[in-house]
Amino acid sequence: MADEVVEGLKTKFGDAIKDVYEKSRRRTYITVDPARLPDIAEYCYKDLGCRLQICTGMHLEHGFEILYHFAMDRADRIINLRVILDLEKPSIESIARRVPAAEWIEREMWELLGIEFRNHPDMRHLLLTDDWLEGNYPLRRDWKDWRGGEHDTSE
Amino acid sequence: MSLKIKALTKSIWVFHLAASPCNNCDIEILDLLTPRFDVERFGIQLVGSVRHADAILVTGSMNRKARERLKRVIAQAAKPCFVIAIGNCACSMEMFGKSYNQMECLDNVAEVDAYIAGCPPKPEAMIQGVVALIQAQLAALKKK
Amino acid sequence: MSIVQGIGYLLIGFLAAAIIGMFAHWFDRKITAKVQWRVGPPFFQPLYDLVKLLAKEVIVPEGASRFLFLSAPLFGLAAVSVVSALLIRTVIFPQQTFIGDLIVVIYLLTIPSQAVILGAFASANPLASLGGSREMKLILSYELPFVLAILVPVIKAGDTIRLGAILEHQATHGAVIASISGVIAFVISLICMQAKLAKVPFDVPEAETEIMGGAYIEYSGAALGLFKLTQWMMMFVVPFFLMMLFIGAVNWRQSWLNIVWAGIIYIGILLFMTLVRNTNPRLRIDQIMKFFWAKITPIAVVAVILAFLGL
Repeated sequence: MADEVVEGLKTKFGDAIKDVYEKSRRRTYITVDPARLPDIAEYCYKDLGCRLQICTGMHLEHGFEILYHFAMDRADRIINLRVILDLEKPSIESIARRVPAAEWIEREMWELLGIEFRNHPDMRHLLLTDDWLEGNYPLRRDWKDWRGGEHDTSE
Repeated sequence: MSLKIKALTKSIWVFHLAASPCNNCDIEILDLLTPRFDVERFGIQLVGSVRHADAILVTGSMNRKARERLKRVIAQAAKPCFVIAIGNCACSMEMFGKSYNQMECLDNVAEVDAYIAGCPPKPEAMIQGVVALIQAQLAALKKK
Repeated sequence: MSIVQGIGYLLIGFLAAAIIGMFAHWFDRKITAKVQWRVGPPFFQPLYDLVKLLAKEVIVPEGASRFLFLSAPLFGLAAVSVVSALLIRTVIFPQQTFIGDLIVVIYLLTIPSQAVILGAFASANPLASLGGSREMKLILSYELPFVLAILVPVIKAGDTIRLGAILEHQATHGAVIASISGVIAFVISLICMQAKLAKVPFDVPEAETEIMGGAYIEYSGAALGLFKLTQWMMMFVVPFFLMMLFIGAVNWRQSWLNIVWAGIIYIGILLFMTLVRNTNPRLRIDQIMKFFWAKITPIAVVAVILAFLGL
């Protein structure tokens, strides 16, 4: 079953698949085009029967990278879908309406990294307080500590 | 007045309040209440409602979100009620002090009566802390 | 009976029930500790708990109805004291009881549960209302088999509803329990007693939300102390009542040994209650209703029929 999955993805989505890196027998990193990601994620979730484990976001020098970790339990395999987003205005279509498990993790990625998820059903703070200063994303590389300064409205 | 404090030291009902901990201290508190250490012989019982509590065991470094809830819950306890900070995080925020979600230490929000340090503190350390608290209360009584 | 005598009996009833109830509570905790291979609380622990609770602050929540919230514990305490006084007087003077006092006792014994329900709904808390509604469902489940089981000694003592007459009948004709219907009725009444005292496996109203305390969640200080004292007093009064109906061994006029015998039987009933409590998980409210209506009530009906047939 090793290459069946990748071959299936390539035939279905063609040039949306940019790169395939097989790290080990159980882990495959597939870099995809951000515009087609929601369709590919839905395909993995519904047709391949994968389970969304978690998503991870990182602020790198060349852009914001999001990894979607899909687990194929019966094949003992994890497929990581990687997207690289624009550094100035990171924005991607939310997959929360198609893969319900992604709802909370996208909220967390938005509030900590500032990645905009379009059409998310319920975008609000998850871990930070509701009176957190807008536009201030703690896990970015250039975060400025605003606490105790002029914008701090808590007592 | 002295009868009140004397009875309080012989029958302490604890309420466990987790203010964003890593849960290690909570597991140790659970160990404390199991038959191996048997704290019921000191009159210590775990209660479900904060209004029944005589001692609130606070674990975890209190982050911004937990701070509001913690203030409200401690205000709901029936006085006299002790607040005991369990673990290094509750005593001093430990390594999370400069984190983006931390505002201040537990001391600034509630009046802490006993600090039990450790990461996590052993159940024996917790028992020692409670005994020290009881002895301090009785000694303060004698002075009056 | 003059007012002074009445107050005297009430005081004796209250004190006896309180002291023996506290002993029963300690006994329950100590046996639980022994079953779990640990030491358990010291003998005066219930007294320390009570004194501590009486000294703490009583908080009335903002949306609660103040009068009901604060007076609910008093209703339960008053009912249990009156029952205790009545039973003690019946034991001392079996001839001076009045017809129908059995019904009065059954009626008064339901009041502590109702006081819990009142208090639960008077605290403006959704979890408390959940506990209160569960207590109501519990009462609906166990009251019928309880009354049916009590019907058996009534029939056997010659269709009398005077407690003193039931006692005297047992003194001359042998205890009610020495018959098939008596044994069945006694076992059923013990199970219903477990539910009346809200002990595991039937403590769902006070413990399902034990994560939060159930019906007692908003109570603190002296109000909570009185609720707990009522619970402990019920642990003396209800077994005592059942002993009088079924075993009749508290007939102290016959010989002093009967009092020791009664004490041993009482400890036996407490032991049964504690061991059942320690070995069973808590049941859900729908399981409890099914258990009582589908299994216990038919057996109680069978016991009553057997009693009619003279068995």
